[in-house]
Amino acid sequence: MDHPPIALDSGPAAVAGASVAPRGGRLVSARRLPKNSVLLILPTLLFLACFLVAPYFNMLVMSFRNPSTSAVYAPGFTVANYTRALTDPYYFGVLAQTVVLGAVTTLICVLIAYPVAYHLARTSSRWKGLLYVGVLSPLLVGVVIRCYGWIILLANNGLINNAVKKLGLVKLGLPLMYNSFGVGVGLVHVFLPFMVLPILSAIQSIDPALEDAARSLGASRARTMARIVIPLSLPGIQAGAILVFVLSISAYVIPILLGALKVKLMPTLVVQLLIDAFLWPFGAALAFILAASGGIVVYLFIRATGRLMRGLR
Amino acid sequence: MTAVAAKIRMRAGRALFLGVVAAAYGFLLLPLVIVVLASFNSGELLTFPPEGFSLRWYEHFFNSEPFMNSLFFSLWLAALAMAVSTVLGTAAALYVVRFAGRWRDTIRLLIVTPLLLPEILSAVALLFFFYSIGLGKTVIGLVIGHVLITLPFVFLAVASVLYNFDSSLEEAARSLGANKLATFRRVTLPLIKPGVISGALLAFIVSFDLFAISLLLKGIGLETLPIQLFDYVTWDFDPTAAAVSTVSIAITMLAVLLIDRIVGLRSLRF
Repeated sequence: MDHPPIALDSGPAAVAGASVAPRGGRLVSARRLPKNSVLLILPTLLFLACFLVAPYFNMLVMSFRNPSTSAVYAPGFTVANYTRALTDPYYFGVLAQTVVLGAVTTLICVLIAYPVAYHLARTSSRWKGLLYVGVLSPLLVGVVIRCYGWIILLANNGLINNAVKKLGLVKLGLPLMYNSFGVGVGLVHVFLPFMVLPILSAIQSIDPALEDAARSLGASRARTMARIVIPLSLPGIQAGAILVFVLSISAYVIPILLGALKVKLMPTLVVQLLIDAFLWPFGAALAFILAASGGIVVYLFIRATGRLMRGLR
Repeated sequence: MTAVAAKIRMRAGRALFLGVVAAAYGFLLLPLVIVVLASFNSGELLTFPPEGFSLRWYEHFFNSEPFMNSLFFSLWLAALAMAVSTVLGTAAALYVVRFAGRWRDTIRLLIVTPLLLPEILSAVALLFFFYSIGLGKTVIGLVIGHVLITLPFVFLAVASVLYNFDSSLEEAARSLGANKLATFRRVTLPLIKPGVISGALLAFIVSFDLFAISLLLKGIGLETLPIQLFDYVTWDFDPTAAAVSTVSIAITMLAVLLIDRIVGLRSLRF
């Protein structure tokens, strides 16, 4: 028994009876709402009000507080935290680098994920289930472990450099880690499943008969892809791209482990300011600027892709 | 002649496509395979070719007090977060799918919001908030942080089962004379059980692997396994970390296998 069955046991709905055929899978319509059913949602709503809404509101207030050298913040409010973050070229540069790296990661993810998703959607192989696990399981393994795997591979004395040196291809090791390349590899790897899954479900909802029709009318495979499959799966690409972009501009572990603070990105900078420098108001302002920049990019992206998808619905 | 050329080109295109797909799977699985291989390698570093089979890194792991402590702490924390979020999430899903009426979409969005917000941002927000209400660096704060992230997973898993639920079964039970409680216990609960169990297991996996929230909210001396691993990997390169990772992957895979057996992985929606 995982939850209290009170709400289903009593209330006017019991009197009203369930013999009237309901629509849309709902047993009880909103009008005949049993009073006690609110008890089902109340704990969750209280929990989220206390530990989601209140903390974020608190952080928003914090970002407008006056900085202080002796305490966490000084009395009074100011917008100086925001103006400083936006006008200082250093912070602006870090923000730009974060957004650019996120965009490049998203693009590479689309290019890799699309063939994988298409193959998985259309294959009739008996290994299909296993392939699905292959896509899904990296998602379920902790991000520290996945980065550690890349460290073993990419480090200066790692597996790849070791092999390359032994084969005599290069004298010195290749710089594969502690730069934006290493961070990029990590980001693409960690967030790739988030791109594959939405594209997969988009392609699965396209009737294969459409492709067969195009092919039988003489369109080549490439033309069928370009004119039928890809346009119809744009919603999946859009959803995946938004997910991957938002996740990668706010990634924290990957830049630390694979970039080792040599690649300056916003999330690592924010945590540094908060934990090491104790600049809470300024750090909070930077966090909101990052979130807002992500929001603006996503909004522009939705507008741009929305034009492409206009004919779809 | 041209027909043959076209056929060859098509074959080549197909081969190229399959090659790209195979390479992508290789890319996805490579780091995990490498970690598992490294944990069984006898050498200090994974070199090519490998130096031979050994279990000494596992021995090192099982004899390491910090690692064992954090393993048990992580398992305990994940179990607790799973229990709390399963109760909250199942009840919430029942309400949203059955009773929410016009608030349905709003409540639904509110519950999944922690998944849409960057984890590090939520961690920072909770850190500030816990300090101001006196829960900073406590186990309670850590558990709350974990539940915030695991709750949406239970909610989504149970809600997706409820949406596909044939409510005529309940009506049949009711019309045959079962009261509300009996209907719930004998019909509804068995039918949504797969959703509840897979949601709970998912919550366990997510909590067991959670990093940013734990890093900012953990108390002094309360290291979860991912944090212990992170600290170790930052300073040491010896394969003890690989043994720890492999055990952790095995625990995750066990849960994935259970989910697959109970409901099938395909029913998971992210």
